Amino acid sequence: MSPTSYSRSHKHLTSLFLGLIFFILFYSYLWLYIDLRLIYSCGGIITNFPVFVKSWVFFRDYVSHPGGALEYGSAFLSQFFYIGWAGALVVTVQAWFMSECVDYILRTLGLSVLRCFRFVPVVILLIIYTRYTYHFYTTMAFLVALLFVCLYLRTTFFLASNHVRLIVFVIMSIILYYVAGGAYLLYAVLVVLYELLFKRRFPLGLLCLFLAVAVPYVLGVLLFGGSVINAFSDSLPFSWRILTFESRKESITAIYVLYLFLPLTMLSSTLYLKTPGSRIQTCLRSWVKKAKVSAGPPILRSLLESFVLLAIVFATVVFSSNREKKTAFSVHHYACHRMWPEVLKAARHPTENPFVISAVNRALYHTGRLGYDMFCWPQHPDVLLPTGEDRILVSWHKFDTQIDLGLMNMAERNLNECTQVFGEHPMILKRLALINMVKANYDSARIYLGALSKTLFHSDWANDYLALLQSDPDLSTDSRIQYLRSVCPEKDYAVIGYSKEKVLLDLLEKNDKNRMAFEYLTAWHMLTRQLEKCVRSIEHLNNFEYPELPVLYEEALLIYVYGTKKPVQLAGHQLSSKARQQIENFSRIFNSHKRNKQEAFGELARDYGNSYFFYHVYGISGVRK
Amino acid sequence: MTREHKVRTVRILVVIAAVAMIACTLAFVLREEKVAIDQVILIDRPARIHPDYSGTVIPPNITPLNFSIREKGSHYCVRIYSKQSKNIEIISKTPKITIPEDRWHALLDDNRGEALSFLVFVKAEGGEWHRFSPILNNIANEEIDRYLVYRKIYPVYSAWNRMGIYQRDLQKFDESLVLNNDYFEGGCLNCHSFCVNNPGKMLIGIRSSKYGSSAVLVEDGKGQKIGTKFGYTSWHPSGRLATYSINQVNMFFHTAKTEVRDVIDLDSLLAYYLVDRKKVKTAPDISRKDRLETYPTWSPDGRYLYFCSAPLSWTDRKAIPTDYNEIKYDLMRINYDIDKDEWGELETVLLSRDTGLSILLPRISPDGRWLLFCMSDYGCFPVYQRTSDLYMIDLEKASQTGRYEPRRLNINSDESESWHSWSSNSRWIAFSSKRDSGVFTRSYLCYLDENGTAGKPFLLPQKDPDHYDTYLRTYSVPELINESVSVAPEKLGRVIRGSPDILCDMPITTATPKAAVPAAQGKPWLTERE
Repeated sequence: MSPTSYSRSHKHLTSLFLGLIFFILFYSYLWLYIDLRLIYSCGGIITNFPVFVKSWVFFRDYVSHPGGALEYGSAFLSQFFYIGWAGALVVTVQAWFMSECVDYILRTLGLSVLRCFRFVPVVILLIIYTRYTYHFYTTMAFLVALLFVCLYLRTTFFLASNHVRLIVFVIMSIILYYVAGGAYLLYAVLVVLYELLFKRRFPLGLLCLFLAVAVPYVLGVLLFGGSVINAFSDSLPFSWRILTFESRKESITAIYVLYLFLPLTMLSSTLYLKTPGSRIQTCLRSWVKKAKVSAGPPILRSLLESFVLLAIVFATVVFSSNREKKTAFSVHHYACHRMWPEVLKAARHPTENPFVISAVNRALYHTGRLGYDMFCWPQHPDVLLPTGEDRILVSWHKFDTQIDLGLMNMAERNLNECTQVFGEHPMILKRLALINMVKANYDSARIYLGALSKTLFHSDWANDYLALLQSDPDLSTDSRIQYLRSVCPEKDYAVIGYSKEKVLLDLLEKNDKNRMAFEYLTAWHMLTRQLEKCVRSIEHLNNFEYPELPVLYEEALLIYVYGTKKPVQLAGHQLSSKARQQIENFSRIFNSHKRNKQEAFGELARDYGNSYFFYHVYGISGVRK
Repeated sequence: MTREHKVRTVRILVVIAAVAMIACTLAFVLREEKVAIDQVILIDRPARIHPDYSGTVIPPNITPLNFSIREKGSHYCVRIYSKQSKNIEIISKTPKITIPEDRWHALLDDNRGEALSFLVFVKAEGGEWHRFSPILNNIANEEIDRYLVYRKIYPVYSAWNRMGIYQRDLQKFDESLVLNNDYFEGGCLNCHSFCVNNPGKMLIGIRSSKYGSSAVLVEDGKGQKIGTKFGYTSWHPSGRLATYSINQVNMFFHTAKTEVRDVIDLDSLLAYYLVDRKKVKTAPDISRKDRLETYPTWSPDGRYLYFCSAPLSWTDRKAIPTDYNEIKYDLMRINYDIDKDEWGELETVLLSRDTGLSILLPRISPDGRWLLFCMSDYGCFPVYQRTSDLYMIDLEKASQTGRYEPRRLNINSDESESWHSWSSNSRWIAFSSKRDSGVFTRSYLCYLDENGTAGKPFLLPQKDPDHYDTYLRTYSVPELINESVSVAPEKLGRVIRGSPDILCDMPITTATPKAAVPAAQGKPWLTERE
């Protein structure tokens, strides 16, 4: 082996090794830090996460239009986000392919000096996922377009005839357009630029340009009968399917950059690098040379390049990360999976996101802490029981609160709205199946379960229930369904907007042992500072087996007793001396500031910021330092 | 022979051998299994099949009634026979029975007016064959209109996103798109209506935040955008005008009822669009300020407009009246002279006071004899009323006796029946029913003989007999038409995306004023219904 080839292979190995390390880090970051399961779960926040069903009809519906095949593939691969490590693997492989394709294209164009650009798509993927946005289909379309560009470059490299090149272009155009829809335009643009600017085959380039417009129209509109708008924009980031939804527009700039950076690189490189005698070209080349010399031996240079890359990646991650959003996604995920300690742990960072607080309240109830800790978070009356009238489609976990309480009709309505907008997401179907089983609508429940049994990861749950419906048609052995039936309201009346208090009172009227309704009603009275009602509510404490009077209830009772001088009935429970001492201390501090709320705020917030005393006075909570 | 030739010959032989092997393997795998059913145990009941295609009357031009056998077994055999023609025998290892289309059509065509039997054999787990009593159906003499147009949509509450109008060829399993909201970048489309079962004249209502509310009028393959949205629409048989309702729809919800949704028209009136003059008009008797007029339908001779009407007793047009469950619609009709564009006197056909029920969705058979409609406990929207059933009045008899006598059809179920339409020969109806699940509306077809006696309705057949078991969209507003809609979806899409060809000013001074304004401007979804 000659020294030169030895050096080359050594360099290649080093590059491979460093690339491997980079992608291992990329994978670990996605798996362990980002956790793509959160994206899968957050159907109510991410509005375009696809549904995938194991059925011929589903497949046929997708492949019957241009771009459908890729959409189908993307929907399939996206399902692996359900398993954290598998989803991360899918994205890592996608990123690796992107970087390899860009690398190949740049090398073929003679732009090896810009090889570092191969990491641009990877960095963009990092931005997208660090921001918890979902653009998998669009990025897959980008990748497929690049693969076809590579294939075109490789196939036509040795061809002498322009006619054959044109035939290759046409064949690949037809295949690509059918597979990836509008993303074909990226392929066409890159090929046109290649032929016109790099190879200077003008007639061929112009013909390709004409075909770039003709192929979508002929295939998309005339052959497949699609809309002319969709024919040119489906699968591209400027499709109306993305731009008409606020939530889908997040990180869209990054996607634009992803689609534009290669054409722009080709254009600018032609203008600056390929122009003979260009000053910029000379400067750049000399700069690269100098950099190579000053960086020392190849291994060191590779390390230095890697270091710079990692620095860029690190900066990207830092600037793109949004802890508030991660908290919301984590809380949503854990709340949907009824993982209460995890909900509380994820929500420990200060947040005012109403949906997070709503999930926290539910987690507190299920862990028996609502009467103790609810004012450790910023509370608001609107947050306690989202009924779905505003921002109806956001955060599906709120519908679980309705189900847990027994509000089946309210949850059914909201979940059906979600199906209409988001499609047959397994998480929605599961809940609709449950609701219909609770309502003894077994035939419709079977349809939901049937649809669910065709999904990849939720079929076991559905099949178990289908079997149970066979063996136990009334589901009398299912304790959860029996419990939910016992708490469902029976009184029917017409509503447009729900009165939360009335809804909770109805639940208690149906079943005065509905502990969740009791705690939520008490919490509602506390949040709305209706102390008289709150006290009357707490007086029913004996319907439930509370070992002691929850601290926040004590605080509410004390405020009432001190404020009205009226006694309260607490059969079996007593107000503790500690609580009395607390209210006296609170009053003392407040009085020491001449009852000036503003002046007393700091001191009271420090000591009592998580108490009901504080909320009652200031209307805010969760401010204890 | 040179070495090169030898190699080539060997290659060819290898390829031929490989192809032959593949062909043999395929032939073996796909061979028609011969099953010997020598000894059978007779089961004295028909086999359970799904969908329930037993005891029905079917059109001679209907697509095969594929079904699943709901009996346990390892092999299944079905023999389909009638008086003439060769039997069809299907052997299957799965309970799904897929009937060959050509042979099915030949059998039906040769046996119009005869009985059609399905003889089901099931090989039980013990290895013995069970033969069930035959499942009997009848083949009608009269054909059904070949196409059925319906809207597929998820059960709707307030929001909408994915919806489309489709046409189904009833002789085949082919379903094709008429229009979906992809063609105008999201929005709502509904209220498709045809002039006497002919898609040559068609109207589709559109609501789009980007392209506005409009009605797309299709005449002889050309689409025009009318700058106002039509509600429930009925074409005059001459095709010269279309009457439509304008409804101020409000949806509300039930806290504990099985059906969560309910609907009230807080205001409504009828208007009509004169096709030649490109003008919208109304008349005092169809747009009274003290009444809610809706669901117009023309008599086949074009002399009478039938419609539903209820008293409007409230003044607040924003709140649901407390007595919403007392609102009941009467059935009215009014004479019309199309040549003079003159309306006659308003007549009462049927009063809700007499029936105790709300009368909705009147549709008259093309032969003019039968008036088919829904009645439910209250309200204006039968799809959300479990009590909604189909009733019929013999108009011929009524013209002789002067009395309109409604008769409840024996095809109703415990769930809602609604959205019925007639085939052009007046022998078939298509209607929506929730009888299978209580939630998902499906399309049913039903035969009516010359005396108005209805056969047992049957579910719109699908290639996969288990299709409905997992299908989460509803089949809404099934309309029978005798030809296919030939206008391409993109052509309609272009019309919608363009500016209105016809601008219409509503004559609000003569009508219930508020109803003339779109119900919830800026919130078009609020008026969406299945």
